[in-house]
Amino acid sequence: MDIVRDILDKQLCDREEIFMGRVDGLVLEVSKDGPPRVDHFELGFAVLARRIHPRVERWLQAIRKRWSVRKNARQIVPWSAVLEITPQHIKLDLAALETPAFDWERWLRKHVIRKIPGSGAE
Amino acid sequence: MKKALQLALGILTAIGGFFDVGNIATCSQAGAAFRFQLIWSLLLATIVVIFLVEMSGRFAAVTQKALPDTIREHFGFTFWLVPFLILTVIHLLVLGAEIGGICFALHLVTGLPLQVWALPVAVLVWLFLWRATFKTIENSTSLLGLITLAFVVAAAMHHPPTHEVLAGALPTMPSHDPENYWFIAVSIIGAVIAPYLFYFYSSGAVEDQWDVSYVPVNRAVAVMGMGFGSLVSIGAIVVAGMVLAPRGIRVTDYHQAALMLTQAFPFWGYVLFAVSMGIACLGAAIEVALSMSYSFAQTFGWNWGEDLEPAEDARFCLVYTVSILLGSLFMLFGFDPLKLTILTMAINAAVLPVVAIPMLLLMNDRTLLREHANGVISNVVTVGIVLLTLVLAVVSIPLMIVGGS
Repeated sequence: MDIVRDILDKQLCDREEIFMGRVDGLVLEVSKDGPPRVDHFELGFAVLARRIHPRVERWLQAIRKRWSVRKNARQIVPWSAVLEITPQHIKLDLAALETPAFDWERWLRKHVIRKIPGSGAE
Repeated sequence: MKKALQLALGILTAIGGFFDVGNIATCSQAGAAFRFQLIWSLLLATIVVIFLVEMSGRFAAVTQKALPDTIREHFGFTFWLVPFLILTVIHLLVLGAEIGGICFALHLVTGLPLQVWALPVAVLVWLFLWRATFKTIENSTSLLGLITLAFVVAAAMHHPPTHEVLAGALPTMPSHDPENYWFIAVSIIGAVIAPYLFYFYSSGAVEDQWDVSYVPVNRAVAVMGMGFGSLVSIGAIVVAGMVLAPRGIRVTDYHQAALMLTQAFPFWGYVLFAVSMGIACLGAAIEVALSMSYSFAQTFGWNWGEDLEPAEDARFCLVYTVSILLGSLFMLFGFDPLKLTILTMAINAAVLPVVAIPMLLLMNDRTLLREHANGVISNVVTVGIVLLTLVLAVVSIPLMIVGGS
């Protein structure tokens, strides 16, 4: 497997196959006595911003301080959570709704969408 | 039988994506200024769009993935960022132009100014997306869209000189206003090959759960759907050539375009034009707003789908809601809808390589498409398309400056 070609930017989904973001960043662990191995994935706008330019990440962090519903800019998903890798997605042993990946989704559902008639929310 | 019904997807895309505000604007301008002489430009664009739509549908059927999704995954976020941002701007401009088209249609019927209609139209477009499923949108717009056949009927009723219409299928040098001639040629291409179309079409195929068995259906959809759209557009050029050109009427405002059907249908012409324009633009506005949501959701890996309840994909709904609101601002602040349309079509033509090149690279990737990757014929056409889009990218904006009316 080629980690940049086959893992980075790939669609992530939870146990129920609900989409929960993409592999925005990959973190490797380098040890003295073995080859480097993938430790965890990183998710979040801050991770993407850093891929563009460190300065963009700093801007984003400054905005976040004033206005965000997330506690952490980065969500970390350990490699151990990976259930399977298919051509379509990477399936994780998580429930999307309970992860920080759904912070914005939850906030929008609660504060905006539910208040509009016909949203399908109970 | 189910697959026969799938042709509806093609027809929706044809009416929404093919015959929309851009075609009404560019075809009426072409016919009014150069009669049938620019039909070749529409035919060229139709051939290109058939190939590209066929490829994006085949891609989705084989991989079960839409294009924005795959481009980010395959080429990486930093590569995708630039096309994504360009597309976001294009989506908003096109949405503004389509909303402008609906507002103009309502203005024609009611006499009320465009500004008054901007927000009600935005609410109407939004309501469709908020409540309707993908199937409902697909079927209702494709059925209602058949009214645009009025242009074809009107064209036949005018008994245009057949040899002149056929002669227009081959490119010739104009006898007057060459800058304007080439500019309209380019904007017709920009109107037909709308960049969002391929992202929308491939996402729609994923929504409809196409698999490999749909490859032949997809081919028929591409040819027939786009052919239908092209026929209506040729009808519009011919009608404009028969009605507006002999009277020396140039289309500098949609009011002049609205005269097109009044010769063939003296009493109903205005209303028929307004209804055709309103429906074609409504279908397109819904599509463009949806396409914006698809591209955001796929870029960031959110849950997406028009068939989910809004409470299941809140971010997806937020994107089309905000887009529609932003798109309606153009009319609210009194932009001229025709000028906005023409500007947008020129930009469409200019950014085509950004859309075409990644797509064509993907279509040759056998790890993704296996035996369904592009063959020799598709690739020869493909190279031609890339060259054409590169030429358009260079000439469209300068032409708009010298030849735009």
